[in-house]
Amino acid sequence: MTTQMAPESMYRSTEGLGVWEHRGKVASVGIGHSPTARRWDGRAETSVGALSIQALRTAIADAGVSPDQVDGLVLVPVTTTGAHWPEDQPVPMDVVNAFNPTDDPLDGVGQLSAEWIIKNMPELTNVKFTMYAPGCMSAAIVVAAQAVGDGLASNCLVLKGWHNLEGRYNHGGISASDEVPGSFAISPGRTLWGAPGCFGTALQFAQYCTKYGKNHDMMAPFMQNSRRNGLLFPEGYWAQHRPEQLTPEDYLSSRWIAKPANLFDNDIPIMVAAAYLFTTADRAQDMAQKPVYILNHASSRGVARSITPTLEEVEAETAATGRKIYEGAGITADDLSFENMYDGFAQFHQFHIEGLRYRGMQPGDALDFYQTDISIEGPNPILSSGGNIGSGRSRFWMHTDCMQQIQGRAGARSLTGVKPEIAVSGGPMPMGGNFTVWSATPD
Amino acid sequence: MVKQGVVPEDLNRPFFEAANEGRLVIQNCSACDRLHFPPRAACDRCGSGDNMEWKQMSGRGKIYNYGVVYDCPVASLKEDLPFNLAAIMLDEDPGILMYSHLPGVPADEVPVGGAVQVIFEATANGQKVPEWQVVT
Amino acid sequence: MAILISFDIDGTLEVGDPPGPLTMEMVRIVQDKGFLIGSCSDRPPSSQRSLWEEHQINVDFAVAKHLLAGVKSDFNADAYYHIGDREDLDRQNALRSGFEFLWPDEAAAQPWFLPEK
Repeated sequence: MTTQMAPESMYRSTEGLGVWEHRGKVASVGIGHSPTARRWDGRAETSVGALSIQALRTAIADAGVSPDQVDGLVLVPVTTTGAHWPEDQPVPMDVVNAFNPTDDPLDGVGQLSAEWIIKNMPELTNVKFTMYAPGCMSAAIVVAAQAVGDGLASNCLVLKGWHNLEGRYNHGGISASDEVPGSFAISPGRTLWGAPGCFGTALQFAQYCTKYGKNHDMMAPFMQNSRRNGLLFPEGYWAQHRPEQLTPEDYLSSRWIAKPANLFDNDIPIMVAAAYLFTTADRAQDMAQKPVYILNHASSRGVARSITPTLEEVEAETAATGRKIYEGAGITADDLSFENMYDGFAQFHQFHIEGLRYRGMQPGDALDFYQTDISIEGPNPILSSGGNIGSGRSRFWMHTDCMQQIQGRAGARSLTGVKPEIAVSGGPMPMGGNFTVWSATPD
Repeated sequence: MVKQGVVPEDLNRPFFEAANEGRLVIQNCSACDRLHFPPRAACDRCGSGDNMEWKQMSGRGKIYNYGVVYDCPVASLKEDLPFNLAAIMLDEDPGILMYSHLPGVPADEVPVGGAVQVIFEATANGQKVPEWQVVT
Repeated sequence: MAILISFDIDGTLEVGDPPGPLTMEMVRIVQDKGFLIGSCSDRPPSSQRSLWEEHQINVDFAVAKHLLAGVKSDFNADAYYHIGDREDLDRQNALRSGFEFLWPDEAAAQPWFLPEK
């Protein structure tokens, strides 16, 4: 079976499309997470392939279906947090051969193919539909939701795995070379001028502070709240390995990476995998978990005019994203019980939620909002998952949290100040991402 | 600060050749009169690929905003940490941004919105690139 | 002669992630010998302090990576060492801050860490 990247036609990336044709007809019913680790320790049983299998099997069991009922698989083939397998190092064949390998020895170690998953999960005997999504779980969810809605699969697994290798990523390769191609020298992102990964967001945040009279210290309550929520997320990295609160003093005294972005404004790369099981709303009634219905998916495809997106471009794009999200779901901002927009640079979460007009926010309001009660116990919860800041770089905590909150199984993280009925999650970037609206009911 | 050497490619060669001559040129679509930076094969507004020309700029701009880099992935710049990294808006079109280390400006003492003038700085292999100085 | 040792945590101490070669027992040995000791890590200062408390070691300082130079000005010693596993964040930072630098394996071989006979 050849697996293709999802065509752009599966995404809802423009305004004016109306209500999603499958609104309320697709549901998530199963969740599976692997354990987390800071970095891969080189063992087969902790490889990204093994973690992914673990997550998939857990999601299947959680949904209460038998593996032979699964007929679809959507996954992200790229698994790197930033570090790629070094070209001068052989792939460990003992790890490769601990599984049923494909032609590419990196499969299961530094990437994932649908073929590798199927070969190593022989219980998946009826998978007829496979598809790849780019980047992160947010895209895979959109593709799987559309696929189930379109009838391409009935019980569809959705998977994202991450590997994290030794070393500081982006510090080798072209960053260490004496000469660079002209296109790299003047490209967006990392360039001749030495911009670290967070620089673009830091620049937008600097302009945000200039434009609205805010400052970096105002991020502290958000950071503290995110870590607190993350420590209540037993699947997360900090909860599992270093259950330490992040105090405002810790946050504000941290070293700068690109001022106004400090170390904690960046997330921590980890090893982890998660999987979900999507099905039709009808089939979901017979499964083990309460269905979480998908009201819409929407995508943003913003393009910066020049070398880096400006604040003004970001604000225009996130506002458009908000309109797309509501239009397709047939809801308004007032209908949102809570939000789980991406935070994997902490300093762009406010762009996402201002774009949503969450709790009536307008551009420039979010940092003041952060100074109010944004806890899971309050009426205006912010990022109840804790996001990447709360649990490490996975870009899927926010989706899992939406499902768990609506299903009533978020444990100590359960929202008590609002009734969790409709939520939105997604990302990653304000200028480009994929977003999903989740609901306790199909209508 | 000595930046990594630059090896021009076909798409950006006119930009770098002009820099060696002390001129700032930016790609412009003559069909719809729209500037582009970084260079691209076709206009992002009208789609034309046959009308991309190089247009000389005044070399004047303003500082959009900036960050101060303390942790830099580029090996050759690490000894200069911390350093300013600003985005410069061209006077001809503030939608066109270029990066600058703002030579001569102490770290974190950047006048946001201030006027700047282009200069040309040699990289490690002698290829020049545009840099920007604050106009006092 | 007063010696101050600053320990990075991850990749340096046995309790780090990843674990390093220096054991908490070695830390206790140098402290018993009268060395000034503490940690300088990217871990938040509050969690550095918790880590030391968990191992019942009363350190003289626990600071963020970029505040190493301040340790030198806060403590009077004849020699200042930082032990860490990163070229830029530990070695270069230590040298810039006026510290001598040791990689964890180099440090583990120092006679400081041998128990007194």
